[in-house]
Formats: sequence, C-alpha cells, structure tokens
Amino acid sequence: MRRQYATLALVFLVVFSVVASGCISGGGGEEETATIVMGVTDKVTDLDPSNAYDFYTWEVLNNVMEGLVKYKPGTLEIEPALAESWEVNEDSTVWTFHLRKDLKFADGTPLTAKDVVRSIERVMTIQGDPSWLVTDFVDKVEAKDDYTVVFYLKQPTAYFLALLTTPPYFPVHPDYAPDQIQSDQTAGGAGPYKITKWVRDEELVLEANPNYYGEKPKTEKIIIKFYRDASTMRLALQNGEIDIAWRTLRPSDIDSLKKDENFNVIEVPGGFIRYICLNTKNDPTSNVKVRQALAAAVDRPEIAQKVFMGTVEPLYSLVPNGMWSHKDVFKDKYGDGNMEKAKALLSEAGYSESNPLEIQLWYTPTHYGDTEADLAQMLKEQWEKTGMIKVTIKSAEWGTYTDYARNGQMQVYLLGWYPDYLDPDDYTTPFLKSTANSWAGTGYANPTMDDLLSQAQRLSDQNERTKLYEQVQDILAQDVPYIPLIQGKLFVVTQKNVKGVTIGPDMIFRYSTLYKE
Amino acid sequence: MARGLGQYIIIRALMIIPTILILYTLVFFFLRILPGNPVMAVVGTKNIPPEQLEHLMQMAGLDKPLYVQYFDYLKGVLHGDFGVTLAFPMGKPVWDYIAQRFPATLELALWAFTVSVLLGLLTGVIGATRKGTKTDTAMRVYSIIAYTLFIPWFGMMLQYLFGIHLHWLPTSGRLDPGVNLHTVTGLYVLDSILTGNWEAFVSSVRHLILPALTLGIVLSGAYTRLVRNNMVDVLSQDFIRAYYARGVADRKVMWYALKNAFIPVVTLMGLQFAILLGGAVLTETTFSWPGMGTFLVDRIDYRDYNAIQGAVIFFAFFVGIISLIVDIVYALLDPRVKY
Repeated sequence: MRRQYATLALVFLVVFSVVASGCISGGGGEEETATIVMGVTDKVTDLDPSNAYDFYTWEVLNNVMEGLVKYKPGTLEIEPALAESWEVNEDSTVWTFHLRKDLKFADGTPLTAKDVVRSIERVMTIQGDPSWLVTDFVDKVEAKDDYTVVFYLKQPTAYFLALLTTPPYFPVHPDYAPDQIQSDQTAGGAGPYKITKWVRDEELVLEANPNYYGEKPKTEKIIIKFYRDASTMRLALQNGEIDIAWRTLRPSDIDSLKKDENFNVIEVPGGFIRYICLNTKNDPTSNVKVRQALAAAVDRPEIAQKVFMGTVEPLYSLVPNGMWSHKDVFKDKYGDGNMEKAKALLSEAGYSESNPLEIQLWYTPTHYGDTEADLAQMLKEQWEKTGMIKVTIKSAEWGTYTDYARNGQMQVYLLGWYPDYLDPDDYTTPFLKSTANSWAGTGYANPTMDDLLSQAQRLSDQNERTKLYEQVQDILAQDVPYIPLIQGKLFVVTQKNVKGVTIGPDMIFRYSTLYKE
Repeated sequence: MARGLGQYIIIRALMIIPTILILYTLVFFFLRILPGNPVMAVVGTKNIPPEQLEHLMQMAGLDKPLYVQYFDYLKGVLHGDFGVTLAFPMGKPVWDYIAQRFPATLELALWAFTVSVLLGLLTGVIGATRKGTKTDTAMRVYSIIAYTLFIPWFGMMLQYLFGIHLHWLPTSGRLDPGVNLHTVTGLYVLDSILTGNWEAFVSSVRHLILPALTLGIVLSGAYTRLVRNNMVDVLSQDFIRAYYARGVADRKVMWYALKNAFIPVVTLMGLQFAILLGGAVLTETTFSWPGMGTFLVDRIDYRDYNAIQGAVIFFAFFVGIISLIVDIVYALLDPRVKY
C-alpha cells in the first residue's frame, strides 16, 4: 500500500513536470516576429485625449495620434508634424497652420482642417481635466479651407507651439462622439500606430498604421502588458516574458539589473520633479524663517543616494535642470545640510534646543512608489540633526492626501509634478501664481511674483523671459513656499537584442524607432 | 422529508439577503467615513477650478445626501445595476468589470480548489494509514507549514524557482502576449477547448499552474489535518475491523473509510471556498492575475465607491450561494442532518 501512494505522488510530479516542461517548447516565442512586448506598471486611464491627463496615457496617445507639430525625437526642438508649415502674427495671437495634403486616419478616412477644428472644439465642449490647456489660451479655431487651420488666442502666448504638442490638440477620428468622453475609444488619430486590441489593465496591442504620412515604424507590432507591481514586472523581464520593462521599476531593481549582463539599462534625464510643500498660512510654517531653516537643513545628495540609489538627481529650483532659465537658487542660498544656517534661522525664529520647533511631515505611501516612507524618514533625520526640530511623520493614501492638500490641512508635505508642456511657465505659474496654486494648498501669494509670471507669459522674446524666470526663482528661494528636492531620471530596461530606444526631454517614449536585432 | 428540505433551502437562501445587506452597509459607511473621495483621487494634484470640481462631484452623484446615495445604490443593485465607476474611466458600468474580471478569479479559484482538495486528500490519507510513524509526523508538519505560508512570499519563491531559475513557467498574467482567444465563458482553459484553440490552451494552462499551486498548497493544509483525523477515527471503528475480518482488500477498505471520512470535508470545502476567494486576492496581486482581487485593490486605491461596493456585494452573493449549495449537498450526503 505504501508503494501505491508513493506511485501516486510520483505520477503527480511526473504529470506536473511534463505539463510544465512540455509546454516550454509550446510556449511560443521561437518564431521571430516583428513584435516587441513592453511591460508597464502604469495604467492607461482614458484613451480620449479630451479627458486623459496623466503621463503614461499621454505617451500611448502620442504613439497613436499626432498633433500639428511635435518634438523632434530625442530633442526639445519642435518640428512639423501634421502641419508642414505655419505663420504667426506679430503679437503672437493668430497662428496659421498649413496641413499636409495626403493625411489620413489609420482606417483610411481622410484628415482635413475640419477634423482639426472639430477635435479642438470637442475638447472645449467636453471640458475634461486637460481642457484648460486649450480653453485658457484659444479663443477660437477656424478651418480656412481643407488644409489651413487658424488659431485665435486670448492673449499673446509665446509657448503656443509647446502646447500644440499635447494630446488635447491632437485631431481624433470622427468616431469620437462630439460631446462625450469616450474612455475606451480605440479609433485613435493619425499617429504611427493604431490600436488593434485593448483589454483595460491587461493588454494593449498596437500595430503600424498603414496610412501614416511619415516613416513606417521599425517594429510592426507593439504589445503592452500591464503589471500590478514592479516586482512582478521585473520577474517577467528576467523570465523573458517581456522585451522591455518601462515605467516603473524600483530603484533597487534598477540597481541590480544594471549589474546583470543579460539586460541593457538605458538612462534618460526626466522632467518630473519632487518637492516639499510648506503651508504659508498656518503656524509655524507661516514664519518665513522657519521655512528657510527647513530648506537649509535638507541634504539632497544624501537623499538621492540613500533613498533613490542614484536614480534621481538633486534639484535646487522648481525649474528642472537642463531647461532654459534654470538657476540653482537653493544651492546658492542655503547649500546642502547647512546645519549652521538652519540653527541660526531657527534661533531667529525663537526656537532652541530646549524649545524645539515641532512639525508634522506628511507623505502618501503608494502614489510615488515604495520609496516614499524612506524619503519622509530621511527628511525627519536631516531636520532633527539640527537638534532644534522635532518631526512627527504622518501619512494618508492618495484620495485623502490630495483632499488634505487642497484644503490646506497639512503643514509640511511631499508632492511631485509631471510637466504638461515643456516651458518654465509650467514649472512656475501653477505653483507660485496665487490664482493658480490652490491645488497645492500652500496658500502662497505674492503680488510681485504674480506680476512677473504674467509678464513672462506674454513676452515672446526668450532672453527677456529668461530674466523674468530667474527673478521668479530668486523670490522662490527667498519665500520658500516649496523646497525643491530631486529631479527624476527615467530608466528603460531591455533584453540585449532590443535597440532604438528614443526618449526625449518630453519624457515620451516613441515606439516607432524600436526594433529587435 | 422532501418538504423539509425544500423549506430548509428557502430559509437558507433568504439568509443570504441580510448578510449582504449588513456587508453593504458596513462598506458603504466605512468608505465614506474616510476623508477624500474618488473625484479627488482622480483629479489629484492637477489645477482644476472649484466649479469644475463641483461639476464632477455632481456627475458622480456625490453631492446628494448620504442616505439618498445609500438607497439609490441599493435600488440599483436590486435591478441588477451595480452603478458606474467613479474613478477613471468615469461612468463605465461596474458590472462590465465584474463580468470581465470575475471569470479570471473563478478560474483561478477552481484550479486552486482542485489542487488543495487533491493534495489534502493525498497527504491526509497517507498520514492516517501510517498513524504514529515518521511519515505521519511529516504529513502533520506539512499541514502546519502549508497552513501558515504567506501567499505573496510563497508565490514569489515559486516564481523564482519555476520562472527565473528553471524558465519553465510564466510568472504573471493569463495568456502569453499576442495569443488571441475568443472568450465564451471567460474561463480561458475551458474557452480554448471549446474553440479548439490549442495555442491558447497551452498558454492558459501554463499561466495557471503557479498561481493555482501557490493558493492550492496553502489551502491544502487544512484538508490534510481534517482528512487524517477523520480517517484515523473511521479506521478505528468496528465496521472497518469487520471488513478486514472478512478479508476485504485493503484498497476497498480504504475507499469505504474515505467515503465515511468525507462528510466533514464537504463542509470544510464550503468554508474554504470563501477563504479561497480571499486568498485569491493575495495570489492575484502576486501574479498580476487580472481578476476581482486586483480590481478591488486598484479601486480601493482610487476610492471608487461604486466599484468597491459592487465587487463586495457580488463576492458576498457568490460566497452565499456556494455555502448554500454546500449545505444542501451536506444535507443530502448525511441523512442524520435535520433541517
């Protein structure tokens, strides 16, 4: 009888291993097809550009749609896209674009100026989350003929071309309902790829658009797999289930994959920034000396190394490194981990070792990845090193956190920012202009600042604008409603045979240059 | 007796209603006690004018008084309407998600269930027939270890061994990328057989093995213990000795013993099924399995009231139905049960 059970157990094992190993050969992946499989932990929220407003979804939209102009891959230079040329009047309020003559949507439907106008009016009607990128600037838009589109702006806008590269300006297929958000609409636009399969949170399949006016994508089919978390995605990469692991692996994963010779780790500077918000309305952070002292005690290189394992770089202004007008204002004014300065400022504010400053530092545990608790802990340690600050760490998950922020209920808290368009304006106005920063909850308002920002928005001369933004950053470092911390880098990890990864300063991954060797 | 059984079934079925109602009420109020809401979670840090926020709240129906929201949703559920999602994408029927996600969970649960019952019976019978030996101890240790394994940890160990180390099996998802399957029931293995799609069959079986083993092994511990103890009990009874005395073959005696030891196991199966669905949540997150578990976790992150309520009510209803069936089967199997 003993033998019987042993046999049974053996049979079970054999069956299992036969199924398992027998399937290896049947599992596919031998025949070389022009397909690249990419894993992400991000989600596509809304395939409708009138309502989509998160970075990853914009990336997908950028691959299946295109605007009148676009960034030249890998650069900040704007080049013609659906429009082959354009003119602007003297005070940059009327912009005229001339479309290419042979434009078609992915299914062959011709694309004319009327489609551009219809799509933009649709965004204005629907009033989805990103619609302000259109409605704040465009008064009206007209089709002069089949190939000419004219934008009449509400005020001179120097960076209008940068706005045109964002999805709310992309012409969409006539299948998109004129007055309704269509979150799962796959008709797309006139980009290099078209969507052929879409299972929310599971899989998105893109195939080369046969009617694309430009160069044909190097890889016919791109499959995007959506993962719940970074560790599962990393396992899938190591197991060869995916060719590329994209947004977002953890710093520790990137660190160890860099050492693994089976993979390429490609590093790209990113335009997303992380910063501390300080409530300027409530005690004790309403005292500017307190805010300055907190800024002085922060040691950014230590944060970048210890918390993020070198996957980010220190940031000393809200305008990111590498963007014109950027100035290391916080470094010049406070340095890093400047304990002497911090202590002096705290003394001036009336605090001492026996009467320490007590603050609550808030963070949100999952929205910015697993490292957030460590970041909060590190800040606590750095501040407490002064001997004059006592920090209590608090946390709330995202839905609650944003509510608290908007209502100004937190004192000192961590947030992050992804750009909408690549201009210093997008890194300053939403934070510092008193009429635009209610979302951040810092309550910051300074008339001089408001004035400088409005001026900079209207000027078209970049040198003049640079001077204004430099002034803006100086005042920022003086008033300290925010303490800039770090700027992200992006990491793409690929199997050895994957080539052609192109990500520009706009941080958008363009799949059409990818190929397998 | 037939009438008694009919009555029993009706009463048992009616008892599902208060259970669901209590659960719904708890979830409804618990979600709303917490600060923040789905609209805020979607808007996040973006700069949106207060009028638009108000408009969004209105669209989501969150501007109405709590009791109106409570009864509105309940009324909807009675008509089979689970409401629409409040977080992105706003306004899609929650039912669409349940219909898409539930079969994935069910498929995983059924396979894990089979694994756990088979493993539990095997190890339990082995233990019972070798009572007091080292093998028996080994089986008991197995049951304790299996029972206490932490699913995400154990799942990850299997992923490393069979995925990364041996490259035998995929570590996540339900199908290989690019494999197409025309779904009929939503159970991929069954669908691929029904449609004669062997590529999808192999792919879906391979994807099922690791998550089903993870969950199945963890749940088998409870069966091992129960089967062993029942078998030991039954084997010591007079009728077994009578079989042996009459020279009935060992295998046959074992079969009779197992049949007798099986009744409490059926009850456990019913109970385990609820635990199984709970365990599926953890297993799904470990293996990126696109089922109800991952759906629920995602939606909790975004405080999507309707989606969470819908998923919980559906789960509760399903578990209720399963335990009802188990009770009926139990009643039919064991004539001693009185209704």
